[in-house]
Amino acid sequence: MKEVLILKKSIFIITILLLIMMTFSTAAQNETEGVYGGRLNAALKMSAPHLDSDNSTDSQITAMMNHVYEGLFEFDENLQLQPHLAESYSVSDDGREYIVELRQDVMMHNGEKMDADDVLASFERWVNINGAGNLIKPYFDQAEKLDDYRIRFKFEEPYAPFLNIMASPVSNQKFVVRAKEIIDVFGDNVINRHVGTGPYQVKEWIPDQNLSLVRFEDYSPNQMEASFFAGKRTPYLDEIVLNFITDAQVRVSGVQTAQFHFAEEVSRDQYQLFEADANINTQIIYPDQMAVFVTNNGIAPFDNKYARKAMVYALDLEEMGFSMVGNPDFWRLEPSLHEEGNPWYAENVGEGIYNVYDPDKARELLEKADYDGTPLVILSGQDSQVERQGAIAIKDQLERIGIEVELQLFDRPTVVERRSELEGWNIHLSSFIKTVPDPQIHQGWTGTNKWITNWNSEESREMDAIFERMVREVDYDQRYQIVEEFYEKMWETVPYFNMLDYSRLHITRAELKNFEPAWQTFFWNTWLEE
Amino acid sequence: MLFNKNSRIFKEPYIITALIILSIMLFLAIFAPFITEYKPNATNPRNRLQPPSSEHFLGTDEFGRDVFTRILYGIRASLQVGFSVVILTLIFGVFIGVLSGFYPKLDRIIMRILDGMMAFPGIIIAISLAAIWGGGKINIILALSFAYFPKMARIVRSSVISIKDLEYVESARAVGAGDSYIIFKYILRNAASPILVQATFNFALAILDEAALSFLGVGIMPPAPSLGGMITDARSFMTVAPWLIIAPGLMIIFSVLAFNLLGDGLRDFLDPHLRGKIN
Repeated sequence: MKEVLILKKSIFIITILLLIMMTFSTAAQNETEGVYGGRLNAALKMSAPHLDSDNSTDSQITAMMNHVYEGLFEFDENLQLQPHLAESYSVSDDGREYIVELRQDVMMHNGEKMDADDVLASFERWVNINGAGNLIKPYFDQAEKLDDYRIRFKFEEPYAPFLNIMASPVSNQKFVVRAKEIIDVFGDNVINRHVGTGPYQVKEWIPDQNLSLVRFEDYSPNQMEASFFAGKRTPYLDEIVLNFITDAQVRVSGVQTAQFHFAEEVSRDQYQLFEADANINTQIIYPDQMAVFVTNNGIAPFDNKYARKAMVYALDLEEMGFSMVGNPDFWRLEPSLHEEGNPWYAENVGEGIYNVYDPDKARELLEKADYDGTPLVILSGQDSQVERQGAIAIKDQLERIGIEVELQLFDRPTVVERRSELEGWNIHLSSFIKTVPDPQIHQGWTGTNKWITNWNSEESREMDAIFERMVREVDYDQRYQIVEEFYEKMWETVPYFNMLDYSRLHITRAELKNFEPAWQTFFWNTWLEE
Repeated sequence: MLFNKNSRIFKEPYIITALIILSIMLFLAIFAPFITEYKPNATNPRNRLQPPSSEHFLGTDEFGRDVFTRILYGIRASLQVGFSVVILTLIFGVFIGVLSGFYPKLDRIIMRILDGMMAFPGIIIAISLAAIWGGGKINIILALSFAYFPKMARIVRSSVISIKDLEYVESARAVGAGDSYIIFKYILRNAASPILVQATFNFALAILDEAALSFLGVGIMPPAPSLGGMITDARSFMTVAPWLIIAPGLMIIFSVLAFNLLGDGLRDFLDPHLRGKIN
């Protein structure tokens, strides 16, 4: 009798345990398994001139076309490089040879399987016309097909950032695989028929209005665990419509009225309002942007390092944070070009100069630089709140210490055109992506006089030599020492500097599920619930 | 006389209302530096988006600038633009209109050109010119003047044509008066009423269009205060700081209303037919 009781009790306990386990497993399953179907409407802050990332420096193209094209390698949420269209890879001991094995099951939008010919054609185009590909060119020897699914990349010199640059999330740098047939048709010209391997394919592109993407039914996902751009991409949504809405308030209203499911970069000052709205979820992108103060080092007064240093002392950076971004929860003062936790983060850089507000010292340095009082021209964009308000705040701060300033605010294309000229501007504000996995991915690091600063002096050549050593050094510790050397030189000569880091704020409708706040917005693995 | 203190002009309710509003605006614009202790462009970001208080009568904007101060200086900018546009429009409009109305041979050429210009809405012409020349107060004044003068010229031409064949002009010509004497002594004096009315409407239109151009980003360049520019900047903050958009918006409404009332009042007063009806 006693045994029967014990048995009954045991069965009861086991049943309860099983029930609990089933309940939790169902809940877990519900959380990870999405709902197929539906059309997502997103409001992006700006349009793009075309959809060919190799032919533009516009990061918006890469962000949108991440749904259509994929890289051999992609970054996960920890900024770790993961093979994506690649199955595996190996690097020779001398760092000059990379053998990449491709996945064999990858279907392209034209119904063909991706193979080494597609990758080689795409790579050749990337090296020839993409800005990042161009950087590799001087060190690169050749890419050869070993068989249909293996490729060897050979370098004449070791080139440490190769894989990181190929997967780079910055601007247009990422290498993506396109079908050979479209490269044969378009060559180096702007591609307007898109055949990739991504979970979505282009349905319709109406410039300045919207981009419609539809699910690619034969998509062959990577089977690794999903993590930002790496791993499994599941196209739950039938269709994604990316609308270009330049006015932030219109984007906000669109989400409030359920016209849009997503609004990119909305006002951080409205954060509390969004938080109080049950239909809206806020998506804060971890401080992934830098507000960079750029000087034109090719002409007076900033061809002199003392004048450049004077600017650091002249600016109250905390005040700049309030002016440019507003809500202090969304910005922080940070002189390093990499965020804390990044393998290339450097502590205590810029000590003694960064965030040391000292107008007297600024005046003294300007005098040392023989600054003759010619008004300084600030060239800045008026489409971006951070850049526009930053320019206005800098003007006010410099005028407070007696420097005459002329402010020139233009639309983005005009700013890009004017800043490419040697004359006509002295100061420029630019926003840069902070989350970069390699010290050399960042455009600001990829050269000195090659960049917009027009820096071309003995100091810039010394900086070039530092970059050159950084490119060739494949050992992390050795390379990190060179990075520290770079920082020392940078704060000694100040060719440009990071004023502050700031976060972006997106908003989504509550019915949009499993949205990941990544540095570039994507909608695979997300779904809509009624 | 038009402005005799006993004239009925000062008994017109529209005109009286308009003059009161405009006097207040003019006072605020002229004495702005004495009315407020703040500078219009002085930022204080740690004090941003403060609601109206005793310290900041209309609150502060996204840079911590005093909104009341910026409105005072914004009115000043609007009045400067409006006044300058009216003067330039009068000079060119009257000159072209008189030439066209008085000399029929010139009329055909000039009027076809002006018809072509008038085929486009004034604001479109102004936006195009401002986009080509760039923003800034002077460019805005030139752009708006260019956009408005054809209408003024057409009004002047009509008046000149209707006056030049009247008996007293014929009499002057018969006694040997020259063209310029006739134009200044007889024609322009008698064409003054419609010109004056159109000038006041142009003033209102210039204020409104300057605000529109600044709102579109091709007007007065920041950080200089302008009513339209303030509204543009306030759009991103209108839900958290509504005072930023309400105050300059009301000021634009009042200033345009005042000039429209003045124009209507003057038209009613100067038009004998309308005056008869009213009386």
